[in-house]
Amino acid sequence: MKMLTVIISKSPGQDPRKHELEESILAALVREPDVVVEVMPHLYDLGETDGALAALRSVTGPLAVLAWLYSRAIHWTLDRMGVKGQCGETQLHRADLENEKARGNASAPDAPSRTIWSLNLRDGDDPSMHIAELQRILCDLRATTSGTVPTTSAIPKSEIRNQKSEISLHRWYPVIDFGRCNNCMECIDFCLFGVYGVDDAARIVVENPDNCKPGCPACSRVCPENAILFPMHRTPAIAGAPGAGPDARKLDLSELFGAPAAAQLAADERNMALARTDKEAKPKDDLDKLMDALDDAKL
Amino acid sequence: MPDELVFMMGNFAARFPADRRYTLNHMWLGAQGTAMRFGLSAYAIRLLREIYFLEWSVDAGATVRQKDEIGAVESSKAVAALYAPADGTITHFNAEALADPSTVNKDGYGAGWLFEINGNANDTMEPAQYLRYLETSWTRAQALLKGQAAQ
Repeated sequence: MKMLTVIISKSPGQDPRKHELEESILAALVREPDVVVEVMPHLYDLGETDGALAALRSVTGPLAVLAWLYSRAIHWTLDRMGVKGQCGETQLHRADLENEKARGNASAPDAPSRTIWSLNLRDGDDPSMHIAELQRILCDLRATTSGTVPTTSAIPKSEIRNQKSEISLHRWYPVIDFGRCNNCMECIDFCLFGVYGVDDAARIVVENPDNCKPGCPACSRVCPENAILFPMHRTPAIAGAPGAGPDARKLDLSELFGAPAAAQLAADERNMALARTDKEAKPKDDLDKLMDALDDAKL
Repeated sequence: MPDELVFMMGNFAARFPADRRYTLNHMWLGAQGTAMRFGLSAYAIRLLREIYFLEWSVDAGATVRQKDEIGAVESSKAVAALYAPADGTITHFNAEALADPSTVNKDGYGAGWLFEINGNANDTMEPAQYLRYLETSWTRAQALLKGQAAQ
């Protein structure tokens, strides 16, 4: 009787310790009778045509996703992919989730009742810590679903095999935390690349994610609610870290490699991205040159 | 002139071949046809330790100015943004280093080069000058490392 689907989303890099942790957790979970476990490429890089994404969407029951992203980034990346659910409580970050709930906004308003647990693999190198957390979740599920029919079905294997190669293209786009977003439209006003749009209900959406300029997190800095995440940005607060505390596990050496001494302003980042786009634009045609010549002419 | 100069980072001897120049943001550069080839200096690599993830935020063919942010690196010890060391057009990124960043650790002055730029590099230094620059910046680097590690 399968009660829980567990997805292990692989690290996008080649850190052997990360792969080892993924393997250890996988090895423990395949022995667990109540669990369906699958390994997928890095969640954030999945595109619309990825078999892994179709497989994720086919899971309708309780779901736990382990990825190399902050929990909040996992939850809202899934949400934008159409994999929605209530934010599952985890012991590892209980205080953070309670803070979000106190704001009344841990999950999207349109999320179905099934629960999704988002677990950050960066929380610890020790596989037993992650396995214990999954077992605790299973215990809770057994207690609440006793006597009822479990809702999880196996993922079709063909979907998973259909996934892209290991080194898939790295993507870069904003992920909106709809628990925090108050639809103020600052981001759509600020972004010059047409990344944002509004849906039929006049709600802000990331309409053209691939218009986003790799490395540019500027809209996240202008968002008054800190509702825009760039899950792969090196600054923890932008990547969806709980609170704004630095990632204690790694140093930021950008300054040694030439980062400006003062904090980069959002406008600088956006304008730099814009300048790059202009340079990529097609050369001016003759009419443009004529117009420029007219502008320059002293009449 | 010796083939290489050595800078002691604590007990670690960082080596700097004398056949190339160095930049303020700890890259080396050498002529590659009409372009300049860049890579990380042994000083930068030692600070990072094992490099696991390398990513460029611009495409080959992009025009950059010195100090533009062009990518990021993640290692066993650190994360860092990477900045253009020169003005010009980035003609190539090293696909081998991108696919397997450990190439940078294994052969940082050879197969582990990062990219090539066609343009102008200002503020570059002879190896001896770079060593003097390291002497003055080493104290600051240590303070930065210790300050962040203590957080």
